[in-house]
Amino acid sequence: MTTAETSVLPSVPGVPSEGALAGVKVLDLMWVVAGPTATRAMADFGATVIRVESANRIETARGIGPFHNNEQGPDHSGLFGNMNINKLGLSLNLATAEARDVLLDLIKWCDVLSESFSPRAMRAWGMDYESLREIKPDLIMLSTCLFGQAGPLSRVAGFGTMGSAIGGYIALAGNPGEAPIGPYSAYTDYLSPRFSLPTIMAALDHRDRTGEGLYIDQAQAESSLHFMSAALLDYTINGRVPQLVGNADPDMAPHGCYRASGDDDWVAIAVRNDADWANLCSAMGMGELTCDDRFADLSARKANEDELNEIVGGWTADRGALEVEYMLQAFGVPAHAVSNSAASADDPQMLHRGHFIRMEHPVHGETAFEAAKGQMSETPPSYRSAAPSIGRDNDLVLREILGYDDERIAQLAIADALT
Amino acid sequence: MLLTPYRVLDLTDQRGMLAGQILADLGADVICVEPPGGSSARAVGPFAGDDPGPDRSLYWWAYARNKRGITCNLDHSEGQHLIRQLAATADFVLESDTPGVMDARGLGYAALSAEHENLIYTSISAFGQTGPKVTYEATDLILMAAGGPLILSGGAGEAPVRVSVPQAWFHASGEAASAALIALYARRTIGRGQHVDISAQQSVAAASMSANLAASIGAVETARVAGGMAVGPFTGKLIWEAADGFISLTFLFGAGIGPFSRRLFEWMYDEGECAVEDRDLDWIGLGAEFISGQRPLSEWDRLLSVVGDFIRKRSRDELFTEAQARSLLIVPVTTVDELADSEQFEARDFWREHDMPAWPEPVRFPGPFVQLSANQLEYRRRAPNIGEHNAEVYAELGLDAEDLAHLQERGVI
Repeated sequence: MTTAETSVLPSVPGVPSEGALAGVKVLDLMWVVAGPTATRAMADFGATVIRVESANRIETARGIGPFHNNEQGPDHSGLFGNMNINKLGLSLNLATAEARDVLLDLIKWCDVLSESFSPRAMRAWGMDYESLREIKPDLIMLSTCLFGQAGPLSRVAGFGTMGSAIGGYIALAGNPGEAPIGPYSAYTDYLSPRFSLPTIMAALDHRDRTGEGLYIDQAQAESSLHFMSAALLDYTINGRVPQLVGNADPDMAPHGCYRASGDDDWVAIAVRNDADWANLCSAMGMGELTCDDRFADLSARKANEDELNEIVGGWTADRGALEVEYMLQAFGVPAHAVSNSAASADDPQMLHRGHFIRMEHPVHGETAFEAAKGQMSETPPSYRSAAPSIGRDNDLVLREILGYDDERIAQLAIADALT
Repeated sequence: MLLTPYRVLDLTDQRGMLAGQILADLGADVICVEPPGGSSARAVGPFAGDDPGPDRSLYWWAYARNKRGITCNLDHSEGQHLIRQLAATADFVLESDTPGVMDARGLGYAALSAEHENLIYTSISAFGQTGPKVTYEATDLILMAAGGPLILSGGAGEAPVRVSVPQAWFHASGEAASAALIALYARRTIGRGQHVDISAQQSVAAASMSANLAASIGAVETARVAGGMAVGPFTGKLIWEAADGFISLTFLFGAGIGPFSRRLFEWMYDEGECAVEDRDLDWIGLGAEFISGQRPLSEWDRLLSVVGDFIRKRSRDELFTEAQARSLLIVPVTTVDELADSEQFEARDFWREHDMPAWPEPVRFPGPFVQLSANQLEYRRRAPNIGEHNAEVYAELGLDAEDLAHLQERGVI
């Protein structure tokens, strides 16, 4: 990784005093990707986020790679590290009544409570929104799960990979005549924070104006449908069901990932119109193709797409993906190397944006994570601490935030509430 | 509604429309501005009845909901003046033009914030507002390639494959809506608005689930596996063929998934389709047994094929029903038609209807993206026709019908 534009930041957990969301307090009972993505964005912009975990049921993300230096272990997951920087880590064994008392104290402390248990869990603890608003009337609470708090499928628990399947995305990616492939891993987990986070922010603004709290019931499967609204309309109106088409596009040809000369080296090329086509032919040194009737316009190129792809693929095969990207973009043709993690780390644009940041990590010495996605001119994000090991900030939370004394903490330890 | 007090001037095209849509659904007064001939988004298919036309783009119908629509020629000096006046009444401006274009029109952040320092100005672009690739041409496929998710999806050694319904601009738009509302919260503290700069390349990186960090933390690149995931030396298979289509079954060992695998094998054993020794494997510690060599890796392949045979004999319904009874990680690979006809969404009263002028029957849209205890999301307006709200919006600027007619003659609106 090129580190010219990144710096090594220290890791000092604490309560931030600056940032767009300084003073906002979040109690985060969510896990893996969908929920923690939203709360990480809040933490980046200055919210105090307490992430509750238990050593008795290790958070799934801690077991998912990529792993630092390929070594597995609860503090080695780059995924967990990336999802949870800037958060405080509190370990609570919620199977004990004593831990649930701590949770109630934290609920009184927080502005936003977020949870992604299966729908029955919070109710079973008497911590449904209706009960909690009695002790904290202006509470903002997010419950997020696959199918929401009610409905025949509301008890289907599962991972985002399953959300991707039952949410319709697996069936949208794959090659003709083969089994569907789907996008990478837990796709709906990447979509649901696009809707939960704006709702939380709108709720905070509304609360500050009116004093009213809010309960947010997010069915991730429902939120995610908004990334395929037009396809749903195409079915209900036109009766069309999307088929597996590889990388083909109804409005563009050539359009696809073409093999380049390196190992697992691919370049994406998208020809939007006849002008792009002429430019591509020039770039390939095959100007004569612009006069070829087989490729004269979009409908001809679609009709002869296999031959077209063979020609383009034959040309890219002898060149590196980056070389093709630079050549074609110089001719105004949309093209980009299909970046893996090494290419992303070296991508001059990602470097320019400061996308990857390095920070001290108590276990690894130094780690890397992704910057906040939105760049804001007046209230930039800050990167204050690496993702917590389990229970790293128990003292800070119990003593400084909740004001517990030694005796109370000792009692919690004896009750096995802090594991 | 939550955002009722706020106004959004939405200058985006198909690259940013979802951002304003999210704010509009949450209750903001969103005015979308189209060029006099209509937004380029109206040329994005599919079309109602497969009949292209500016009032028949299903993309427009889907992502202009809850917005009022006006026309304005941003390349005309009078149009630019109107936009500056409207921006002065707005809390947010959203734009998705090629970087530099809005500045050249005198409608960039610097110009508008100089006149209205509370303005939150959000720019959505392919690669961000500056940088070596700022002039790059981009489409959905290009952005998915550039941001990291594309390389992860597809068969080993085969071409990576994208989601055929374009996604990249939605990721950027969602990021934009979040960031704009964070800036709204900040406005109260810092006493002014700001510029939010969203890169689609960076936004889609979220869909690589941190696999894009591998090289930066000394890890191997994540292998591309059709219908599964590489987990160290193992393949965790996720997509399986049932008797009547495909299902997703998460099948692996370990503390998280092992107990589910154990329950799957209990079912298989009950049906007489696996050996008791397989059922009673240490589903939590099995991985360590493979890695230590205590058990040959070929055993994993055998287990995969035992499961595969079991799944293939059963329908998706049977598998899904039993999965709920036994708490297994099985769901159907659901197609768009099945989503549209799903009982679950019906039971939650999810869908919403609008009468669309260009279509004879009410059209059913995906409903609120969250359900709220109060201030529910409302579908109060269908997507506007071209210039539908010119009169009422421009009236706020003191323009009457005669003024509008003159502006129209001059090609301003």
